[in-house]
Amino acid sequence: MARHATARRWMAALLAVGLLGGACTSAATNQPSTGPASSPGASTATSVPSAAVATGGTLSIAWNSDIQYFDPAKGYDVVSWPAEKLIYEQLLQYDSGTKLLPLLADGMPTVSNGGKTYTFKLHSGVKFVNPDGSVLREMNADDVVASINRVLDPNLKPSASPVAGGFFGNIVGAADVIAGKAKAASGLKKIDDLTVEFDLNQADATFLNILATPFASVLPKEAPHDAAQVATKPIGTGPYVLKAYTKGSQATFAANKSYWQAGQPFLDEIDFKVGVDDNAAIQQIQAGQLDLMGDPLPAGSFTQITTDPQYADRLVTHTLVDTDYLFFDTQQPNNGPLSKLAVRQALEYAIDKDNILKLVHGAGVKADCIFPPDLPGYDPTCHPYTFDQAKAKQMLADAGYPNGFSSTLYTDTTDPDPQIVQALQQDLAAVGVKVNIVTEEFATFLDRIETPHKAPMGWVGWFQDYPDPSDFIDPLLSCATAVQGGANAPLYCNKQVDQMAAQARGETDPAKRLQAYQDIQKAIMADAPWVPVRHQKWFTLVSTRVNNFQLHPVWNYDLRSVSLKPGS
Amino acid sequence: MTAQLVAAGTDYEVSDARGRSRAWDVLRRNPSFWAGSAMVVAVIVLAVAAPVIAPHDPDQQYRREGLNAHGDPIGPSAAFPLGTDLLGRDELSRLLFGARTSLTVGIVANAIATLVGVAVGSIAAFAGNVTVGLGLPGGRRLAVTVPLETILMRLTDAILSFPVLLLAIALVAVIGASLVLVVAVIAGVLWTGIARIVYSRMVVLRDAEFVLAARALGVPAPRILVRHVLPHLTSIIAVYATLGIASTILFEATLSFLGVGVPLPTATWGQMISQHLGYYDTDPRLVVLPGLAIMITILAFNLLGDALADAFDPHRWR
Repeated sequence: MARHATARRWMAALLAVGLLGGACTSAATNQPSTGPASSPGASTATSVPSAAVATGGTLSIAWNSDIQYFDPAKGYDVVSWPAEKLIYEQLLQYDSGTKLLPLLADGMPTVSNGGKTYTFKLHSGVKFVNPDGSVLREMNADDVVASINRVLDPNLKPSASPVAGGFFGNIVGAADVIAGKAKAASGLKKIDDLTVEFDLNQADATFLNILATPFASVLPKEAPHDAAQVATKPIGTGPYVLKAYTKGSQATFAANKSYWQAGQPFLDEIDFKVGVDDNAAIQQIQAGQLDLMGDPLPAGSFTQITTDPQYADRLVTHTLVDTDYLFFDTQQPNNGPLSKLAVRQALEYAIDKDNILKLVHGAGVKADCIFPPDLPGYDPTCHPYTFDQAKAKQMLADAGYPNGFSSTLYTDTTDPDPQIVQALQQDLAAVGVKVNIVTEEFATFLDRIETPHKAPMGWVGWFQDYPDPSDFIDPLLSCATAVQGGANAPLYCNKQVDQMAAQARGETDPAKRLQAYQDIQKAIMADAPWVPVRHQKWFTLVSTRVNNFQLHPVWNYDLRSVSLKPGS
Repeated sequence: MTAQLVAAGTDYEVSDARGRSRAWDVLRRNPSFWAGSAMVVAVIVLAVAAPVIAPHDPDQQYRREGLNAHGDPIGPSAAFPLGTDLLGRDELSRLLFGARTSLTVGIVANAIATLVGVAVGSIAAFAGNVTVGLGLPGGRRLAVTVPLETILMRLTDAILSFPVLLLAIALVAVIGASLVLVVAVIAGVLWTGIARIVYSRMVVLRDAEFVLAARALGVPAPRILVRHVLPHLTSIIAVYATLGIASTILFEATLSFLGVGVPLPTATWGQMISQHLGYYDTDPRLVVLPGLAIMITILAFNLLGDALADAFDPHRWR
């Protein structure tokens, strides 16, 4: 459900952005973490996956956007999540790749009842810590149960969690809580003080991934069901506490001296400087006044920095688990041209994707299908359409549009999206399709594409929430989301594909499951609701002081593992 | 002859033939006038002739020859005299077509604003309080006095106090960006300044002796306004309209810079700057050239406007 401006700068807004991913490791070495782990994990929580050591000092990171929420039930953007990861913890986490490991859980859960029941032992001695650094009390099973019920609460302020139904609806009784008919889901059970059980309606291979998202953070059970109140006093078990926050300017995270894992946290303080322009951030990093930037390199200085040898060892890059695409309203009213399969298929041939990759200075990998590299289920042989404008023109003529047609193409105002749509406009014009461009502020644009038939064509992107192909199919391309407020912008609804997806979701054999998703991908591409264009590649620059910074395949910025070089 | 006799002894000699020739005397000796008009004429000629003299289609992206291997814009060359922009479009052609956008907006919006401003200002001053007879049930009539003067001038003040940029951004969000909207927003705000100036002059003129005389002779109010009063204001309107074009062009550039101006890919100077802001360090040409274009155009209209203001100032005729 992670919608984003396809931009270098992610607009944190409403349902906006979320997770990114993509891996520093190659797809081949990535451990698909989709199968439910069936044995209790070998060791205790191995914590932050890194070789960093505690060095103290203050690390500063700049972001374009501000932190939207300190409440993990609400936060769904690229600035809130890294902040939440410092304060709160979840039952599970990922290693430096996409393999699930225990965090607050004492080992991986036992799975029973045909994959429908997960039983977690909790780590003992985990302490909730107040923002002033004092210990509130130890965490227990009640807190875990209350935290999930909190996400399901339809009366959460200012509004219900965006993922209550989507992520947690499969828990037995969750639907009643979401509907306001019950206070607690019957499938969330405290067995004893350090044991919790999750009962699901259906076996679900992705459920453990959901327990690793910030939405599944464990808060004290007395946490108010009000994001504004949580923001004034966020209490978690994480390695840092929120020491100070000035809206629109800075959030200061101080080391949690009572942290339950020895040797952490690594730093004394982490400063989020928000509202910082990319170009200013680059200059501050070059001048040593800033350590990290939360946004990728801006276009103007991209070539200068990526080609200058002095920055070679400070340039951090990876390919995100993301797909940026041009979509068509597949149910265009009044028998519109885009409602016709032959027209959409013709347009699949019209887009010069290599040119768009050049415009973004090579910050991307060409996309021909839905799933990005590094997502389980990625199919390197999936290239259903190739760039061929003559063929596109011929197909349009055969479909009854020898002179093309006119339409409107929407996107947001964040660079480089306005540039990319101008390139798309020229490509479409070359095959006779004349489009007007409308660029809107991200929240407005998001509202538009989630309202049926308000955008015949649009340019947008999607990052994974968790490393599983279902996160690209269920929210984006299923009949259930082809509705008002759904993320299915092309209103794509193919009953047969829906059925295939339902089967794939319940499939427990990982290999068969991924094969099923590859078949789904092919079936959808044959219907041409999207022209996939690129999978984004992230480039950022770090200061000379920073030690051990890597972009995480799921979290992108996981600052728990960062430290400073000794003596800096 | 009557009007002139009546006007004798007052300050309102602007409209007589001697006044006009004196204004011209001042004007032609003012180098600002010649520099300003030359630049204005040059910009207009370039804008009008853009389709003929521009080397390329301003919207055509030259993806192979217009961008280097890194995907960055290229500098000046034989094919692209001022280089290309970030999409590989010809910078010179976009500057020339940008002049069309700027001047279209500047002149159209400003013409509308001037008409509205003069109308509102003079009606407010001349109509004053209007008494309207209302028919009541039962055949009685009720005389209602409408303080038109107060209503119009307070409306002007209210609009002057609007946060214009916020209004423009909100309107674009609701209606969608278009050239018409940009013109409407600019004209909708700009008329207030002219209205206030015209009103303040009109208030003095409406009580002038030649107006009283005309009234005494039974000349209808609209005719007095158009024949006897407005000619006194031609100079001031000319000056403010010229200066207004400069601020209109700047305002359009601001709107485009903020992404709420004329829609893509139409070339406008403000948008050319905002799209390339990130290049100010590595390729300053992309920011400097449209910046210079805006500066020169505004300077031209300001020079011309100032020269006109000086020329119509009676104190300069001595």
